[in-house]
Amino acid sequence: MFPKLDPLLHSELRLAVMSILAGVDEADFTYLKKQTGATSGNLSVQIDKLTAAGYITVEKGFKGKMPRTTCRITPAGQEAFKQYVEALKEYLSASK
Amino acid sequence: MEQNKELTASESLALISETLNNSRKDILRGSAKYFMLWGALLTATSLVIYLLWHLTGKPQWNFLWFAMPAIGYPLAALMGKYNKAMPQNEVSKMLSGVWRVFGAFAITLSAIAIFLVPMHVTLIIVIIMGLAECMSGVLLKNWPIIICGFLLGVGGAVFAMLVKGDAQLLIFTLGGALLLVTGSIMKLQYK
Repeated sequence: MFPKLDPLLHSELRLAVMSILAGVDEADFTYLKKQTGATSGNLSVQIDKLTAAGYITVEKGFKGKMPRTTCRITPAGQEAFKQYVEALKEYLSASK
Repeated sequence: MEQNKELTASESLALISETLNNSRKDILRGSAKYFMLWGALLTATSLVIYLLWHLTGKPQWNFLWFAMPAIGYPLAALMGKYNKAMPQNEVSKMLSGVWRVFGAFAITLSAIAIFLVPMHVTLIIVIIMGLAECMSGVLLKNWPIIICGFLLGVGGAVFAMLVKGDAQLLIFTLGGALLLVTGSIMKLQYK
């Protein structure tokens, strides 16, 4: 029996956002937008979904006079990401 | 990037691996310019002091070393300001930590050598600089940088013991050039 893939992570943009955040302390919205190539609206929606699931936290603030939105992965997000990768590996090893 | 695109297991793993890799490259390419900044400053400062000392015969020109952090830290802060969207990963944080520790040791020991206890400060600084360069190579998993750091530390220590006076400063010119090379290697490695 294969483990169920987390539907929240099984989406291209959300998975890309989680992959970036898994490797850094924090990343701001501009960086995530640049790295994923997503539109601001699309990225905002997916970030909201990840935040609602408790996988990431979002902090809105200012750096100088410029508004800044910073995203961080939570321990629950790290765990979900790890389990997702493990599940993917099981799928792949079974299909070989 | 489409939010609802169905991915196969292998596509998902490929996406994770590609995203992590791109982000890592981006961050480390961003760190390269700090190596180039300090390399250029070190090369220029050591050459200027060497020339002034050589031409006037006055070792007091060594006080100009303190101009290097006074120029370098604000410039580095300015570069960071223009690069504010760039996040930090474990490697870039450790690289920054290694060189901050080196800077703290170098400035403090130079001040102690000048004002409190005379010591062979060129010897000490060239050794810890070689060590910091080696550590950078280990963190970046890059053998040319490790070897450059080792040669700078060990070769520089021998040079510092054999050569006296203003000529000793040339070891820092070489050190600065090595930092420039390190920055260039990083830019190429993480293109």
